[in-house]
Amino acid sequence: MSPSFPSATPQCQETSGFLFSHPCERGSTTQCMRCQRAICLLHMRTLDGAETVCVTCARAADNGDENRDPSDTSDEDDPSYYYEDYGYYGRDAWRGSGASSSSSGNDRNDFTEADGESVRREDDASFEEDLGGS
Amino acid sequence: MATRRQRWRLYALGGGLGHLTRATALARAAVARGHAVDLLTNSPFAPGLPLESWLGPGATVHRVDARADKATTVAAVGAWLARSTPDVLVVDAFPRGLAGELVALLPTVRAPRVLVHRDLNPVYVERFDVARAVDAFDLLVVPGEDAPFAQHPRAVRTAPWLLLDADACLSREDARRQLGLHDGDARPFVAVMGCGRPEEVAQARETAARLRAAFEERAAVRWLVPTPQDGGLTVWPALAVMRGVDVLVGAGGYNTVQEARATGTPLVARARPRLYDRQALRLTEAERVEDPGALEARVASLLSLLLQAGPRERPSAWDNGVHAAVEAIERVAR
Repeated sequence: MSPSFPSATPQCQETSGFLFSHPCERGSTTQCMRCQRAICLLHMRTLDGAETVCVTCARAADNGDENRDPSDTSDEDDPSYYYEDYGYYGRDAWRGSGASSSSSGNDRNDFTEADGESVRREDDASFEEDLGGS
Repeated sequence: MATRRQRWRLYALGGGLGHLTRATALARAAVARGHAVDLLTNSPFAPGLPLESWLGPGATVHRVDARADKATTVAAVGAWLARSTPDVLVVDAFPRGLAGELVALLPTVRAPRVLVHRDLNPVYVERFDVARAVDAFDLLVVPGEDAPFAQHPRAVRTAPWLLLDADACLSREDARRQLGLHDGDARPFVAVMGCGRPEEVAQARETAARLRAAFEERAAVRWLVPTPQDGGLTVWPALAVMRGVDVLVGAGGYNTVQEARATGTPLVARARPRLYDRQALRLTEAERVEDPGALEARVASLLSLLLQAGPRERPSAWDNGVHAAVEAIERVAR
């Protein structure tokens, strides 16, 4: 038996809004070839006439910095902003879980560009509404 | 066997396979201790999995349709909770409930409450006052990873939870046969896991096809799926055959990562976006890749190492934290 996924297409994962960023509410029509997020037609761009990307990746490419963090990380994106009292994600916090430490010398729990991807969907509009999003 | 048979109720709502897998691990260990377990799931994979036969006669599984809307799902939870009073209610991941419904429903449950507490998005925690919801629980069990309230005075940590103990998994030889390899085929086995969100399942299929085309001479590449899909090799639970897998390709979900680490299986994974769980924080630098090109390069590198040095030494046993969790929950149950 195949899994019984909801039939609706996934929501566009790009954000809209300038002062108050919020998730786009349109259904996706394709996928960014760089970051793999689902995107709608409005948030789709084409690079060099061939590569279909999201607005964020297109902007990063326009700026000439392919390695730039595509997420706009603010202080609120740092988990320690919320959990100083809990010591959550403090240095060495995960060492006891069996994970190996990073060889780069950085705290392996520091946010990176991939974490930006992980927090992009954070918004009141989806929490406790998107029952398949966990 | 526990001294007294307890009636456990396990709330495991959530998309994908992760919540169901973690709850199934707990249910199996609880049933083995003689308890009666009633499990609630809305995983899209649940209808296709032989959960009852795998858990044994002490377990009941209630499947809520993954396509149901919020109102229908909340109604199903309410009806499930109202059936009878258990000796303990265990809630996986969401202290407020997947739809926020437990805030109103929990006060009606006259039983001790246990939260299985894993990572939660800090924005969600802050904006939905999850700290208040956590305080409604008598025990928090933290299954092998850090979490926002891991320092809570009623929290206990365990090793990561796994569906199977080491002695219940197949040997490397038997696992390779189960995965379809002939005895004379010495090629390393690359497993591409096909679970997660529907678009990720489809991508895993494409990834497997791409890797197969690139490495067919050097490795056997298969798309492993928990429930039947065209072109996929149906294997559930995948942990049972993990000793036969030389390279595991997947995402950064709790179970994939913990199963790979416990069995010493090299993992090549992409951090997938989730509403509550942050896969990028779970994956190590050595496990994580950012795009399909990097994924293929990492698999090629691992295969080169395997072909030069042969199969790597694998752990013969592991600490399955689910047993400590069952004992902790037994102590708070009525």
